[in-house]
Amino acid sequence: MRQFWPTSILLGIVIGGTALTAGWTQSPKAKALTPADAKLPIFGTRLEVLPEGPGKEIADQACMSCHSTDILRQQRLSEAQWTASVNKMVGWGAEVPEADKSKLVKYLALHFGPGNDKFQPVVTRPIGR
Amino acid sequence: MANPPDLRPGLTRRAFLGVAAGVAAFPSIAAAVRDVPPAKRRMLQVNGYAACAETPLDALTTYLTPNDLFFVRQHWIPVAPDLKNWALTVDGEVGVPLKLSLGELNAMPQTTVTCVLQCAGNGRGFMKPVVPGVQWQFGAVGNARWTGVRVKEVLLKAGLKGTGQHLHTFGTDKPPGKVPPFFRSLEMEKVLEDGVIALKMNGEALSLLHGAPARLVVPGWAGDHWMKWLERLSPQKDPQKGFYMDVGYRFPNKPGDPGVTFKPDEMSPVTELFVKSNITDAPKSARVGQTVTLRGFAFSGAPDISKVEISADGGAKWKNAVLDPEHDPYAWRLWTFPWKPEAPGKVTLWARATDSRGSVQPKEAVWNQSGYLYNAWHSADIEVTA
Repeated sequence: MRQFWPTSILLGIVIGGTALTAGWTQSPKAKALTPADAKLPIFGTRLEVLPEGPGKEIADQACMSCHSTDILRQQRLSEAQWTASVNKMVGWGAEVPEADKSKLVKYLALHFGPGNDKFQPVVTRPIGR
Repeated sequence: MANPPDLRPGLTRRAFLGVAAGVAAFPSIAAAVRDVPPAKRRMLQVNGYAACAETPLDALTTYLTPNDLFFVRQHWIPVAPDLKNWALTVDGEVGVPLKLSLGELNAMPQTTVTCVLQCAGNGRGFMKPVVPGVQWQFGAVGNARWTGVRVKEVLLKAGLKGTGQHLHTFGTDKPPGKVPPFFRSLEMEKVLEDGVIALKMNGEALSLLHGAPARLVVPGWAGDHWMKWLERLSPQKDPQKGFYMDVGYRFPNKPGDPGVTFKPDEMSPVTELFVKSNITDAPKSARVGQTVTLRGFAFSGAPDISKVEISADGGAKWKNAVLDPEHDPYAWRLWTFPWKPEAPGKVTLWARATDSRGSVQPKEAVWNQSGYLYNAWHSADIEVTA
């Protein structure tokens, strides 16, 4: 089957992850953990670290107040598409000084541009476990 | 892949025990939970905050998708409703505005519908050229039994006026900063026909991540209409305004070539799902002369699937798969296809579905700038040895 994300266990990329509070992940009838579940991170684990490089500090400040890193890391956008996305987010309240905008776009397009094939989803436990 | 579970409905001993214990009102709910093997019970988290996850295709093998394996999509961080004080407000073009508590909703006549919920953006990750957004692959979809009160019952109780042509829907989740809220509306005709205020999912109270205590169910329509954490319904003369009506969740009226973008007024809100089939189980290898089985699901914005076909030659010739008899309007059909390889080599098997209105799943999905309703043929590669 055509799939660009392998479904292997990806614990290694969960760096400094925090998680949603139990209230949001518990189903009304939460079941006991199985040994297979226990090896996986819980649903809601956050990926906290963006790649190093010029512009990272702007992305940390501008993007991470509302997003976790994975929404950035899964994109494969051109500079023009990143420019449009940054402008949309600035319109919605993201704080990016005008002088920093092109540096931020270049950072995003370099790491999360059309050639970005590094992203893999985090394989987690079922919801509420 | 391991042998797939028996998909036949029926009251097995374990399912019977589940019912006897009050676990489920329907035998197949217990069966669905039982039938996804432990090794496949996991989620693919595509975003940590707001938390979004899809179901791996090889776990979507049961008629009912278990709640704890059912995909989650949310725009913002949800605000947990205070259930003691929660009430559903009904106002707008009605004679008698209402505030209905959870107890009052539970006391109204309950209905159950079984149908597919699919995120409008499921498959966005396959769009070429690439488009921004959550890069969903196959699993932002599931099939569940939804129990609650028909929207029609509530609106009639409130004295719906003829001027209420669009139902504005509001949830409790609040966006950060100047971000627009996720408010939507949908045509009253569809709501009155099919809409349900769901309080239960597969026999359990809705979980918070699936919209507790109440969410809208709109059979056959994409997930953007299925408002979670519902707190207000308001019939109005005109459609809702705002980003998620006027810019987001719109599909080109006349699609152009891949990469061609349109202005919002050249597009209309995404409503009905497109006909689609996916392969959930296929062997990686097979031997000449020995039959192997492909399995999958198929659904559409039409109430039923009329056939699923498989091609071993890139779409020149097609053979019908066997549709599972278990079905409800707007639910998916599970299917199986026994295939006996005739010659060694790598073979790509393609699946396509046709719905009860005659719409055929296309080889290529219609490219659109937000990546909605991806439904291209799905394939499995099988290495055949002598």
